[in-house]
Amino acid sequence: MKKLCLILALLLALTAVLAACGSKTATAETTTAAAETTAAAAATTAAAGDTTAAAAKKDQYVIGMSQCNLGEPWRVAMNDQIAAAAAKHPEFKVIYSDAAQDNSKQIADIENFIQMGVDLLIASPNEATPLTNVIKKAYEAGIPVILLDRKIDGDTYTQFIGADNVYMGREAGKYVAHTLFPDGANLLEVKGLEGTSGGIDRDKGIAEGIADNAKIKILQKCNADWLREKAITETESMLQANSDVQCIIALNDPMAEGAYTAAKNLGREKDIKFIGFDGLPTPDGGIKSVMDGRLSLTLVYPTGGAEAIQSAYDLLEGGKTLEKTITLGTEIITPDTAAEAYTRYGGK
Amino acid sequence: MPQETKGQLRPVGVKSVLKRFESILGLIVLLIVASFVCIKNGKNLFLDISNIMNVLRAVSENGIIAAGMTMVILLGGIDLSVGSILGLVGTGTAALMMHNHWGFIPTVLAGLAIGAAYGLFNGIVITKMKMQPFLVTLASMNMARGLARIWSNGAGVPLSYGPGLAPIEFEFLQERLGGVVPVPAILFILIAVIFSVVLKRTAFGRQIYATGGNKRASFLAGIKVGAVTVWVFVLSGVLSALSGMIHAAQVTQGGPNDGIGYELNAVAAVCIGGSSLAGGKGTIFGTVVGAIILGLLDNIMGLNGINSNIQMIVKGLILILAVFMQAERSRD
Repeated sequence: MKKLCLILALLLALTAVLAACGSKTATAETTTAAAETTAAAAATTAAAGDTTAAAAKKDQYVIGMSQCNLGEPWRVAMNDQIAAAAAKHPEFKVIYSDAAQDNSKQIADIENFIQMGVDLLIASPNEATPLTNVIKKAYEAGIPVILLDRKIDGDTYTQFIGADNVYMGREAGKYVAHTLFPDGANLLEVKGLEGTSGGIDRDKGIAEGIADNAKIKILQKCNADWLREKAITETESMLQANSDVQCIIALNDPMAEGAYTAAKNLGREKDIKFIGFDGLPTPDGGIKSVMDGRLSLTLVYPTGGAEAIQSAYDLLEGGKTLEKTITLGTEIITPDTAAEAYTRYGGK
Repeated sequence: MPQETKGQLRPVGVKSVLKRFESILGLIVLLIVASFVCIKNGKNLFLDISNIMNVLRAVSENGIIAAGMTMVILLGGIDLSVGSILGLVGTGTAALMMHNHWGFIPTVLAGLAIGAAYGLFNGIVITKMKMQPFLVTLASMNMARGLARIWSNGAGVPLSYGPGLAPIEFEFLQERLGGVVPVPAILFILIAVIFSVVLKRTAFGRQIYATGGNKRASFLAGIKVGAVTVWVFVLSGVLSALSGMIHAAQVTQGGPNDGIGYELNAVAAVCIGGSSLAGGKGTIFGTVVGAIILGLLDNIMGLNGINSNIQMIVKGLILILAVFMQAERSRD
């Protein structure tokens, strides 16, 4: 009997938590039920995500944000920027989910959003092929889809927002080949998670950027899945295997910091220059790393969070048709420009 | 109230029935909670056929692995390699179909054989070299993961179907029969029924319970404890392999990094279902209930937009609750 009471008590507590979390939306929604049912009817009769727009203006729009891995600081910044932009639109309610790098979990997360009938889906897919079917399903169900940073296969989405990773890779490669080491150097490359479009593009760009300096050689590459801890162990192995290295280029800043730590553990950090990507203006971000002298170069990779909310507003409330691709710009951060860039981007 | 006459325990009544079906009681309460809490705009998001099917589909992979894990845990052991086998077989079968153009049946047989081979390795090292299952399966977990990455050069192997590509029969694993019932769910239920019968109605099943309950006594009673152990680990490997192929079809890709952490989900399902990690106690039915409870929790919290960090805390609490109930039970 005691056990039964305990089970019931805990489940009642669970219900209370869920009720509390759900109650704010419940009261808001019952008052707007009438407006929403007419909007929903109009939305489902529209072809695919793009044209659902100005059917009927609602009092609240629910936006589902499916993140692939909040273990990456850059993605925490993405969510923060989305939240900050959404705060300026009180009619937007954003619900976040995190798949922790598991494709199956992200598929289930997006299925839940479809089930909830969200007005718009923002997604950063963990890998392109695994997430293609479920995003196609959302798109064909009439939910507009905005992809941030990573793409899917095919074109069953409303808009893709991301910077040009090939361009960024090329700029980094050119900086190494012409500014840092015009007389040649041996490089090691630390790559991100294999199936991600950002990783593939940056790698390709770097190869193009160093192509016209034959004395620049990439001795070895490794995969650290965008994670700092993994980069430490992987880089250590590469450094053990290669004694003559002048430069390590990592495809994001956390991995570049990890590579720096690895080199420091082996006492070789003063002989090597480190390069990263992302350039977040946070205390643990790339711009600070350049300011502190550990990295020689990083490039700002905007998350696109604010742009996504702007597109959501344009589509849902402005009735505009969105462009298929928004390409964000980048900025090169060197030791000379780091301090100024840090304050300009709002770093504290 | 249970009637206990002197020298004779005849449990009857509500209390003992509740004890036997504790896990299903938890499931029922959770279902009731779900039906009330997931309502939005007057629409019941939970009690909707496509949602229920989504949940069943999502729990199938874990459920199939957990069925194998039940038998391993009944023996008092554990199999940490299941997640890596899922990744290895998923990657391997995708590679065989896409790169080597193998047909459907040879691919499936090869996949199951790889799982069986790993299970055989686990079982033999545990019994012949007398090593703890935890250590042996930890080792094979790492080996399988490394092998998966070597096989595909670290990249995922995307699946496309058609002539010159993967056989379309494999795509069947991704489909929903009649557009409604997911094939993995059907396979999950089939496996659960088959192994439930094996455990309850065959000599092999009885030997598993006996060995898990008291290994020494079973050995002295003539049960081939070594052979039983090896067979159980082989079955666990085969079921993980099956789950790996289903997973590859579901995510349209054979991924060498897939399945990380899946062994812990399987253990959670088995424990919530009432099995004791010490061995000798538990049922496939309990595990099925445990797997569904885990899936329901994800679904309820997902449909309510609960913060993912809070979701992790809730899952941990539910696991402790389930284990707590178990501990009290064995004290009786």
